[in-house]
Amino acid sequence: MIDTLIATLRDNTCTVSGPMSVDEARAAIVDRIAGHALVACNDDVPIPGLAEAVARLGIAVLDPRDPQWATRLADADAGITGARLAVAEPAAIALTAAPGSPRGTSLVPPEHICVVRVADVIPTLADAMQTIAAGDLPSALTWIGGPSRTGDLEMITTLGVHGPRVVEVVLVT
Amino acid sequence: MSDGHAIATPGDDFHERTAHAVANPVLQKALHNLDRRLRTASTSAAAHPDWKDRAAAIRRETLLDLDGWLDRLEHSLTTRGVQVHRASTPADARRVIVDLARARGARTVVKSKSMATEEIDLGNALEAAGMTSVETDLGEYIVQLAGERPSHMITPAIHKTLPQIRDILAREAGTDLAVDREELTRWARGRLRGEFLRADIGITGVNFAAADTGTLVLVTNEGNGRFCTTVPRVHIAVMPVEKVIPRLADVGIMLPLLTSHATGQALSNYVTMISGPRREGEVDGPDELHVVFLDNRRRTLLGTKYEEMLACIRCGACLNVCPVYRNVSGHAYDAVYSGPMGKVLTPLLSGGAEGADLPYGSTLCHACSDACPVKIPLGDMILSLRADVPDAHTALRRRRRVFWSVWARAWSTPRGYRLTTALGRVSRGRVPGLRAWTSSRELPRPAREPFRDRWAKEHG
Repeated sequence: MIDTLIATLRDNTCTVSGPMSVDEARAAIVDRIAGHALVACNDDVPIPGLAEAVARLGIAVLDPRDPQWATRLADADAGITGARLAVAEPAAIALTAAPGSPRGTSLVPPEHICVVRVADVIPTLADAMQTIAAGDLPSALTWIGGPSRTGDLEMITTLGVHGPRVVEVVLVT
Repeated sequence: MSDGHAIATPGDDFHERTAHAVANPVLQKALHNLDRRLRTASTSAAAHPDWKDRAAAIRRETLLDLDGWLDRLEHSLTTRGVQVHRASTPADARRVIVDLARARGARTVVKSKSMATEEIDLGNALEAAGMTSVETDLGEYIVQLAGERPSHMITPAIHKTLPQIRDILAREAGTDLAVDREELTRWARGRLRGEFLRADIGITGVNFAAADTGTLVLVTNEGNGRFCTTVPRVHIAVMPVEKVIPRLADVGIMLPLLTSHATGQALSNYVTMISGPRREGEVDGPDELHVVFLDNRRRTLLGTKYEEMLACIRCGACLNVCPVYRNVSGHAYDAVYSGPMGKVLTPLLSGGAEGADLPYGSTLCHACSDACPVKIPLGDMILSLRADVPDAHTALRRRRRVFWSVWARAWSTPRGYRLTTALGRVSRGRVPGLRAWTSSRELPRPAREPFRDRWAKEHG
């Protein structure tokens, strides 16, 4: 199931790393964003101490409680989020909107890094929808299968139209 | 279905417009790109053969009690703090939305691709009310800048080649742009990003609306639908009444079926499930969420032989496989909805006032019926609409029927047969009064000497 998820996400032009431990994931993300100036980070990222580790590199971290959040987000180089769950078939990750986990983090910056717990991976969308429909629904549940793309130019795929051009999924155990 | 868009394919009727489209070499070149879609869509849709049956059953369950599901949906939406408006005509829907926008002092409205807003010609109504309405799907934006309307419901600018798109965007940019996908996309991203941040209202369609939970499901790939429902303070969704589905869990089947038939993707890159406006403490998302239920004669189809047309999920699969659409593209139909589903929906939604000649522009090959993910018998409907909707050529067809009945009677007797074949040899296959029909059909040339005469000569 995890292998299917990884292979299908990669087919759909996502970068996937892991499964790895939380500590390894923290190091991998810090490594990945080296050179960025501003990174937005949601509360739902399941890696304790990530924001502090990023800040130690001299990279500014945009907190959802920042009163200038909406305007500063437009300048962010990357957005880091967690995920409520992921499904292997069809491959997609689901993000919930909540205080501390705004919708824009995975939409506005050119790069989206999403941390998914292996335990939260479900085999199919049909299974996932049964669970989701029976529980409390967020104001927005966003399924992401890959980078922003279009086929409008002679039906040839072009990436990064409105949303992120790069989507990186980090699987943690 | 009024509209003020310029029509790219000229001609007074469907027949004339198809001839223009076929004779347009640039359009024909652009249409070859449809082959890419056809290949991917057919492979991915074949993965789950039983899904068509399940999806068809869900859609028909909805239609059995459409009004009941709509009431349940309205209740669920209202409970979540969504404001529901019911519009029976396109004019009602336009009025509701323009009034909402005016009351909020809106200046800029961003739109996500939606056939329902095309149907009610919302963009022009907002412009007429003094607002700026910006289409944000890249293809739709190109079409808007060109002053045209979409020629395909999934790929609105399929009729444009890349150099044509460059010209359109460069004119808007006021600078030179290369004929390069990356550069054109980058420019459009920057321009439309500004519109999103400036917009007072985001307007979208709805792909599915779940009655049990009051959840709106929106499918996009570019992310423009997400921007329209994230940044502006107000989100208005226009929902044709048949978009309701009984249960949110049903989208587990409906969504992959829609996207595999629409674009060949197992799932589109973004699916947004919206359950109410932004909540306490959330820093983005709209403060206000409105849903406009659009009827526009749809409920009059319930209980008729065309009821199943309301099962349509607007995937565009029937367009992609249609031998007529693939040669003439969407503008030849001179209607919001084109292709096989447009041939059925246009006369039905206009009460026969528009598109009455469209059902005749069909080979009746039924490729559309086979391609349909929810098993709508489009081919059968096209055929029966020919009988049910009178068009400009009805008189000619009546003459043709008279001709056939005379012919059938004549060929029932040896004498009648001899007489008419003798006449046929003289007229060389032309039938007076039916030239419009015979001119496009090859009739077999009668033999110089009839077989029965030769037989009589050699054996008699």
